Amino acid sequence: MTLRHYFTLVDTMARMSLKADAARFFFGYLWWILEPLLYVAVFYVVFEVILGSKRADFLVFLMCGKLTFIWLSKSVNQASRSIVASKGLVGKIDVPKSLFPMATIQEGLYKQASVFLLLFIVLWSKGYAVSASWAWLLPVVLVNYLVIVGLSLFGAFLVCVAFDFSMLISLGMIFLLFTSGIFWDVRDLPDPAMTEAVLAANPVAFLIDAYRQVLMEGVAPDPVHLAVIGAAAAALVAAGVLLLRRASRFLALKAITA
Amino acid sequence: MSEAAVEATRDAALVLELQGVSHSYHARRANFERGLHRVLDDVSLRIHRGETLGILGRNGAGKTTLLRLLAGVLAPRAGTVWRRPGASCSLLTLGLGFQPHLSGRDNALLSAMLQGATRRQAQACLEEIREFSELGPSFEEPVATYSAGMRSRLGFSTAIMTRVDILLIDEILSVGDAAFRKKARSLMEDRLTGEQTVVLVSHQEDQVASLCDTAAWIDAGRIRAHGAVDDVLAAYGAA
Repeated sequence: MTLRHYFTLVDTMARMSLKADAARFFFGYLWWILEPLLYVAVFYVVFEVILGSKRADFLVFLMCGKLTFIWLSKSVNQASRSIVASKGLVGKIDVPKSLFPMATIQEGLYKQASVFLLLFIVLWSKGYAVSASWAWLLPVVLVNYLVIVGLSLFGAFLVCVAFDFSMLISLGMIFLLFTSGIFWDVRDLPDPAMTEAVLAANPVAFLIDAYRQVLMEGVAPDPVHLAVIGAAAAALVAAGVLLLRRASRFLALKAITA
Repeated sequence: MSEAAVEATRDAALVLELQGVSHSYHARRANFERGLHRVLDDVSLRIHRGETLGILGRNGAGKTTLLRLLAGVLAPRAGTVWRRPGASCSLLTLGLGFQPHLSGRDNALLSAMLQGATRRQAQACLEEIREFSELGPSFEEPVATYSAGMRSRLGFSTAIMTRVDILLIDEILSVGDAAFRKKARSLMEDRLTGEQTVVLVSHQEDQVASLCDTAAWIDAGRIRAHGAVDDVLAAYGAA
């Protein structure tokens, strides 16, 4: 399969799935925006209305974190199950197994484009000016994407080997939701050493903080730290592609008998 | 002998070759059905271009596993499976084989593209597929709403209309209504004289007798008889 044919297939599968998904719901494509907004609403009620946040800009702060985190968590959760979910096709034709997680990720990417647009509109309406530092969004989004792909490819492998891993992966995403500074500010921690530790240990926390730095403060993220995460994620992607390719028929057997 | 030399000694008309293939499933014990070990034991077969091979055998004899090995979906635990490089191949089974939430049209497009067709080539076949499958408005509905007969019609029509080189058919001609079966059969009889290579798994001896040039009888993972249809059918019937 040529690389071009591969990516045409990924794109076609993603678009088909989006179309089928939209047809299933009464609100159709509106859910692309509605679902993330409802998540934001839930967190807003808990942390602003009930607990009372100290921040005046809590809504924007929350949206920058939550809307970017959902992209990662939903993509990784769904892509991890994608090979097993397509076992009908997997048992019928010998194709690169990475097609299935990649198509799921592509689907998430299309949805996320509209979510980013919504985020920009909210930022603009709240008086945040577009500055030159917004150009940093490009590398931040790219690194975020690589992290998603890397985690998804390994997740898809593990879930194929034993479906039990899908439980651990969704639990892992909840763990990340709480530890990545989505509804709390990693820079507000009482101990500065802890801030450093969280940002160093958790690449997702660094990425979410980077989005806020760029969009809300107009400040560039630490380029070296971003590059390190990007390089590690790229290595993970390469290893994942190789793993899925090597284990292709083993995974087919696993998916069929799952 | 180098790989290239091996390639050169192969018969130019050879499309598929199994040499000493053995395969076994280890499945979880919690579920009786999955606990079944479907094993192939030292199976060797050569299939040539334009040949229609019928595979006979009882349930659990290893027929479906054999087709999956031929399609390259699974790797054998021992032995080798060779398929002519570049030959497109389609495995038609009664099971899912489709993305249930996608429409018949999208599944047909996807199947054709997965078999190697470009998007444009695949789209060009869609009307023929819709017409031949006689699915009517259901062609635009999700495959999850289809009956087994409708799924087999969609799968068969897609494989036939996209003109795959190797067609591996697992029982799907036994379902669907009599009119479609007849139509599929006459189309196969026409096509089968040409370039398409077909491996057909069937319980119906008359189907094998009327469609196939050669037959193989698999029993408990081993080939009990292989050769002219009449001889194999006679041996199978006597057992």
